Amino acid sequence: MIAASAVRFPRVEDHSVSDLDLARRCVDGDPSAFESIYHAHAERMKSIAYHHLGNVADAEDAVQETFLKIHRAASTYTGEAAFSTWLYRILVNTCYDAMRRRRRRPQEAPIDDVVALTRAAANVDDTKRLMLSKLLRELPEQRRTVFVLFEIEGFSHAEIAAIAGISEANSKWILFSTKKQLQEKWKHEH
Amino acid sequence: MNTDDNELDEISAIARSMHATWSSDSLLPRIQRAIAREERRQPSWHVWQMAAAAVILVALGALGWYAQRRVQEHEFNQAILQRTALDDVERAEQSHVAAIDQLEKLAGPKLEQSQSPLMVSYKEKLMTLDDAIAECQAGIRVNRQNAHLRRQLLSIYSEKQRTLQDVLREESHESR
Repeated sequence: MIAASAVRFPRVEDHSVSDLDLARRCVDGDPSAFESIYHAHAERMKSIAYHHLGNVADAEDAVQETFLKIHRAASTYTGEAAFSTWLYRILVNTCYDAMRRRRRRPQEAPIDDVVALTRAAANVDDTKRLMLSKLLRELPEQRRTVFVLFEIEGFSHAEIAAIAGISEANSKWILFSTKKQLQEKWKHEH
Repeated sequence: MNTDDNELDEISAIARSMHATWSSDSLLPRIQRAIAREERRQPSWHVWQMAAAAVILVALGALGWYAQRRVQEHEFNQAILQRTALDDVERAEQSHVAAIDQLEKLAGPKLEQSQSPLMVSYKEKLMTLDDAIAECQAGIRVNRQNAHLRRQLLSIYSEKQRTLQDVLREESHESR
């Protein structure tokens, strides 16, 4: 069962191990490197993937695919951005790929978590969460990413800019217009 | 604070409580197995990169060698063509010279015997032309491909041919 919570994570800049060293260990296939990345970021990665893909199975597949991509591409990591920023960028792109694949084959979209969330909607807050979740799924990719990263996962606009490959000002503007768009839909749903 | 702001704040508050979390004990082992499987299946990306670089280097080397060979072949063909063309020109010159020699043999006795001023003048002209021919030929021996000297030589031979024809014409006039 999925639980919704307001857990705050450390900011993505907080990392004790040198990023380049971590990348080198990933290239070497060092299991402890992947383990430390997993323990530091998997919770957040799973949540981001879940809010993009809408179900646990696809979210876990996206996280696994992201780790494989890190393993394959760690040798190209230059250290220009924080390793975690690079990791979340790969995750978001992996989610986009999965969403596009699903659009091409809509019959493959799983529905198990819709059931799980409906069962969880026993009180008002859960109903509102479900409704916002539903509205989020109707948003275009980039808007959904900015909203999820800022409002749900607590990333800063600077971090979102680096992850999504946009400017900080653009991130702020996208968030503002997305919230306005959600507000309009929220009124209709009420 | 107006209603709009309240609604926006409410959306933000709901969103802040939406961090999804669930237990997935099998995910890390699954990831580790997938990475280990990939490690076993494929040589590291470094090896692939080096192999790709080697293939590209070999391909570039082969292309360069082929291009150089084509250029050398082309230059060789050009040289052969030029030599053939020169041989043709020289063959034409030789037959031209042979024809003029024939004329010279016919006109020779008349030039030697006649003491008329016209014949003496023809004789002197022919000697001047022979000197010019010798000079051109010396130049051509130094550079076979000097087209200017060859054109000059041809015009001198033509002039000599015309002069010899004039000598023979004069001879037939005198004998009538």
